Amino acid sequence: MADGDISDNEPTTRTLLRRVLDTEAPRTPRRRQSTRAGVQRTPLGTPFSMRLRSQTKTTAGRQPHRARSIGRLAHIQTRGQLKEQTPRTLLENILLTAPESSMVMPESAVKPVPAPQVVQVVQFSRRESSPGSLELQLPELNAPTTLAPGRLTSGRRKKRLRLSEFQQGMDQELPLSQGPVTEPPGNTGASSLSSSLNLTFATPLLPQSVQRPGLARRPPTRRAVDVGIFLQDLQDTSVATAFPGDRTPVATLPTDTVLEDTQPFSQPLIGRSPSVHHSLPYPSLSAERTVSRRTRSSGPGLQNNSPGKPAQLLAGKAEEVDALAMRFPNTSSGTSGVDGLEPLLGGVGEEVEERMEESMSLSEVKEATGAQASARAEEPEAHTEVAEAEGSWGAIEEKELEGSSGDKDTEGRTARPELASSTPEFPRARQLEFLEPAPPTSTAVGLFRQQVIPAPSLSSEPLEPLSARLPTRLQTAGPRLRQDPYKMGLSHYAKLFSFYAKMPMEKKALEMVEKCLDKYFQRLCDDLDVFAAHAGRKTVRLEDLELLMRRQGLVTDRVSLHVLVEQHLPLEYRQLLIPCAFSGNTVFPAQ
Amino acid sequence: MDFKKRLKAAVHYTVGCLCEEVASDKEVQLSRQTIAAISEVTFRQCESFAKDLEMFARHAKRSTINTEDVKLLARRSNSLLKYITEKSEEFNVERKTKKKKKLEDENKDSLEPAEAGGVGSEN
Repeated sequence: MADGDISDNEPTTRTLLRRVLDTEAPRTPRRRQSTRAGVQRTPLGTPFSMRLRSQTKTTAGRQPHRARSIGRLAHIQTRGQLKEQTPRTLLENILLTAPESSMVMPESAVKPVPAPQVVQVVQFSRRESSPGSLELQLPELNAPTTLAPGRLTSGRRKKRLRLSEFQQGMDQELPLSQGPVTEPPGNTGASSLSSSLNLTFATPLLPQSVQRPGLARRPPTRRAVDVGIFLQDLQDTSVATAFPGDRTPVATLPTDTVLEDTQPFSQPLIGRSPSVHHSLPYPSLSAERTVSRRTRSSGPGLQNNSPGKPAQLLAGKAEEVDALAMRFPNTSSGTSGVDGLEPLLGGVGEEVEERMEESMSLSEVKEATGAQASARAEEPEAHTEVAEAEGSWGAIEEKELEGSSGDKDTEGRTARPELASSTPEFPRARQLEFLEPAPPTSTAVGLFRQQVIPAPSLSSEPLEPLSARLPTRLQTAGPRLRQDPYKMGLSHYAKLFSFYAKMPMEKKALEMVEKCLDKYFQRLCDDLDVFAAHAGRKTVRLEDLELLMRRQGLVTDRVSLHVLVEQHLPLEYRQLLIPCAFSGNTVFPAQ
Repeated sequence: MDFKKRLKAAVHYTVGCLCEEVASDKEVQLSRQTIAAISEVTFRQCESFAKDLEMFARHAKRSTINTEDVKLLARRSNSLLKYITEKSEEFNVERKTKKKKKLEDENKDSLEPAEAGGVGSEN
């Protein structure tokens, strides 16, 4: 039977399927050449072939032929939908989509083959009912490979989809739906294909819901997600990726990080991984901050936004989640041009954005008598973000804070956008150094950075009021205000520094770093001020910044500012500084 | 390129003289390599200064380098800045008195050409 045939040098289900195809009378054109002959499971019919298909998918390697698999998959889907699903077509689909590489776990591949076919028949009848081969293949996408067959599905799924409550909801759904179906047939088969095809499908939920035809199509669980829990979950995911699908949110983690910002790590230094994860919370925290700020500013409840967020978040990293999360509050609240422009503006600005948000949040906090607790938490966090950006921004932010009045905040906001827009290349060069290695997924980071910086949107007004205020601000500095948020920002930079140091750092060293950063940013802002005054202006402009960069050696005779902008800035910022074909276009249909 | 070498040599010579003065003043010895290093650094720094000054002047939309540009350049070092500011003020005062005198002379010239000429020649 099957076992006997498996004894070949390549005892994979692929070979089995090949044999089936060979022996079967060809009704459809075959693509693969069968290597061996053997009648295996023809009489079993569709359910079995489907199971084999899943197995083959498991056995096949993931990466190498992924592209081909994807291409074939599309074809298969069309074909599958066009013709009736015969065993032959299903087997062909399997062979087409699954790469030829040998199995990861031969034993597990062998095991499911002789697995109870009766059960499969029953279970595959369920699958059969699901429309099209697309759904049939998709459910296996989430099946895991590496874990034991019994836990393959749930583990892999959880590993990939744990980043949001939405995903967790899916996790809960998936084991229910896929457990009985996929486990016996062969999780390895499903998982390999899933891994190979994982990238092509952005909405794994759909097939899962379709997979259970008996149940009504369940809409994605959208609970009113508390942002705090949401972000806690993100951190939990990022911090405890090794843990098996445990959903215990670390309730205090984000708040700890926010409130105890002076400590290098809220968790003890365990080496690089916590720092890596620690860097992640910042985006999430900033997301939290942004979200809560938007809530304050825009008015709509966070709860309204957060359900929208999970919907958008798919298997991805925390940054991605953050990016989308921040996007959604932006788009949904859409109260000001800030939000509207945010999706347009990419990258550089997470700092700038935070800065803007800080200014806004600070103004609101200062103005409003009832500052929310989240606002409180945001302030220090906001200022960590503030200091994150280049010194000019940080110093100006700090001075902004010192001034602390509503109108000044508005001006500061305008000032900051000016600075932000005028100094994108400046922080960008640094930010690249800071942030490029950090995020595990560069794309995720890109997404995150594209969250938008409200800076340009807030205004393109000159920084006159701000510059004029700068000298006075220094004298009228409220020392407490200067200390708290400013130090938070610096400590954030110090943490980044320690992260990139790749080795544990003493607290004193971090303090020294903070001190140096403080002086550096102060000097930066002073220089900008002086340059502006030198030109007889009261506003810091792009030329001032270019002069500063020239003095720093970033802009030379060989490397102009234009070049730096093109090198480091994402398109959204670039088009602000350098007119390009992209700027000023509207996309139809509006997305 | 020849200019550069000659210029460098001149700088080196001047630096050497100054170093000798300082050495005799502080009663320390300065080796040749030290003096060479100092002169090299001075030369490069002068290059950088010149570029910066030109940048500053252009930033202020001028084509001539001003004392303001020099002050901007020297702002890093407080003592140097103070020194330069004092000197520039002195210079300004000197110029002002000179100008004043000249104005008075011109007035006298207009009134009494002969005497003004005499005064002018004196000045």
